[in-house]
Amino acid sequence: MFALALRSLRRRAGAFTATFLAIFLGAAILMAFASLLDTSLGKGVPSANRETLVTMANVVGGWGLLIVIFAVASTLTLSVRQRGTELALLKSIGATPAQIRRMIVGESAVVAVIAAASAIPLALLAGHGLFAMLVDTHQIAPNVEYTFGPIAISMGLGITFVAATAAAMLAARRATRVRAAEAMIEATTEPGRMTKKRIATACVFLALGVYLAVLTVTAMRGKATDAMSTAGSADGLAAIGFALLGPALIRKVIAIAAVPLERLGGASGHLAVENLRRRSDQMATALMPIILFTGISIGTLCMQSTENAVTAAAGVAKTADQKNIETLNLVVIAMIALFAAIMLINTLVAATTHRRREFGQQRLAGATPVQVLRVVALESTVLTATGVLFGAAASLFTSIAYSSARADTLLPDSGVGIFLGMVALAVVLTFTASIGTARRTIRTPAIDAVAA
Amino acid sequence: MAGTRGGSTAQHRTAEALRLFAVSKTYGEASTQVTALDNVSLTLPSGTFTAVMGPSGSGKSTLLQCAAGLDRPTRGHVLVAGAEMTGDDETALTKFRREHVGFIFQHFNLLPTLTVLQNVMLPMRLARRKVDRAYCETILQRVGLSGRLDHLPAELSGGQQQRVAIARTLVSRPSVIFADEPTGALDTRSAREVLALLQEAVRTFGQTVVMVTHDPVAASYADAVLFLADGRIVGRMTHPTAEAVAERMTHLGDAVAERHAIAVV
Repeated sequence: MFALALRSLRRRAGAFTATFLAIFLGAAILMAFASLLDTSLGKGVPSANRETLVTMANVVGGWGLLIVIFAVASTLTLSVRQRGTELALLKSIGATPAQIRRMIVGESAVVAVIAAASAIPLALLAGHGLFAMLVDTHQIAPNVEYTFGPIAISMGLGITFVAATAAAMLAARRATRVRAAEAMIEATTEPGRMTKKRIATACVFLALGVYLAVLTVTAMRGKATDAMSTAGSADGLAAIGFALLGPALIRKVIAIAAVPLERLGGASGHLAVENLRRRSDQMATALMPIILFTGISIGTLCMQSTENAVTAAAGVAKTADQKNIETLNLVVIAMIALFAAIMLINTLVAATTHRRREFGQQRLAGATPVQVLRVVALESTVLTATGVLFGAAASLFTSIAYSSARADTLLPDSGVGIFLGMVALAVVLTFTASIGTARRTIRTPAIDAVAA
Repeated sequence: MAGTRGGSTAQHRTAEALRLFAVSKTYGEASTQVTALDNVSLTLPSGTFTAVMGPSGSGKSTLLQCAAGLDRPTRGHVLVAGAEMTGDDETALTKFRREHVGFIFQHFNLLPTLTVLQNVMLPMRLARRKVDRAYCETILQRVGLSGRLDHLPAELSGGQQQRVAIARTLVSRPSVIFADEPTGALDTRSAREVLALLQEAVRTFGQTVVMVTHDPVAASYADAVLFLADGRIVGRMTHPTAEAVAERMTHLGDAVAERHAIAVV
């Protein structure tokens, strides 16, 4: 089965692009931050500098870790689901579920190792850039030397490998649970129900978010920037919680939006509604990065904006510590925003390309190219609106908590501007990726598209 | 007589549903050119059921795709219900197909996220026509699926899915229904039901059906069979029986050789 895994990798490298990209970027981010730990162990690093480096690596790197695991898991799930028919075929010619699981896990392991290893040069560059920024802002003494060493490499390779294989095992288990006869059916639609385990996990993340928000307004009240240590993670945890509930959120939103969509969108609106309703699981994969992106970026930017307002109101200059934190926050935003943006594009491109046959079927039923594109645009609108709505909700876990703990207001004045800016970015990314891919996909003549 | 080369007008007073005039289709560049259709002309009156047969590579699928507006011929004209298949872009062709053409495929091509009834109503919705739900339900009842209106395609057998596809083409009352190996993915029993339905579409609904097949039994359900070889029409048989069709197919190779010989002389 491992030989089959290798062969399927070599013959259809394209199918693994999305997974490769997720692991590649994830590993680069992890290694870049882990290299700060290598650097902190260098000879003659002042203890204050060492602390800065370790904090930065742990806080941001920890964040990165969570998001990378999440992203890799969701891309892998998508790619395994897209191969449902192929797996059914393997089963029908006598492959046991265990053999199929070994093949999927084997493929993922090989992709993970190659992706993580090729991410090393990028990680080295990024780590160097990060370190230079810390030195430029006088948070690190200029005589400290940057090291990219064993911690970076072992963490980068180890974590991505474990995350990818674990995610593959989960995805493979789900794929092999159905019997061969049913597998063909499963490949086109899916039963619209989330597992209890998934709901429970989502609740745990949401509860953690609430807990940190409450902790911020109670225990951390009046403790200056220390409140960031609790408030800062609340939005991300809540965002992951919401993202896990994605299929249910989509179904809820579509229950409300169905009537206006069908009325305004005509036949395209009708198709978009049915697709979202019956494929909420697949659609949720694209919803996830939108929620993470808006939730974390809006929350953290609002928190920093509150902090800046407080400092300005007090009429004092920022201390080195405050500057440190600001850099940290901005780096978190930049990193997460970049990663979420790439994940968003990655997921949408992979998912939309896979719908080639479906687009062909729509066209053979009499849909013009414009009508097909309108279906995709309406689906994207619903996804973006849902993602932004729950992303903004997740961001409140951080922004309201921090603002009321630090400034006794509910939200910073600049909140609306930050919200609008991030929403605009999410809209541009979603529409460019989905419409652009759909446009390219429907260039194939309809009759060839359904034959493939 | 209908179906002769050169596009002679039908002697009957029946309106013509489909006319191909000197249609050719070639693929590839000059040196490696493959001729899939070679100057094919034919006329089909409406209300007829015609099967197109030929060995693989004879051009029967290309013929169907060019006639149905899914592919454009390199040379020649296609007229459906007297209207020339026009339009340079996909949108114009789509609108033409909506108006005049219905499809039935080997692999059904129903939308997986739509129910049976939604699938049948989709062409009307896409064409922004008034959706006649009651008529759709009547047609679905006629094809024997009245109890399955809210099922998804994946919940149906192959034969049932093909019957949904037939209902979908019937509700838009196209000038011609094209069926590409409609029984290719079905068991014998379901295949017989589907063929009987196509016959009924012609007899009861007055539809015109053109069916590509390689199965002599399927072809025997048609009123006439056109035989295709090397991209040309090489024969025609009315009131076909499965045995006669099978016999003709066996000798089609000889016919091709003969044609080539004549061409050389």
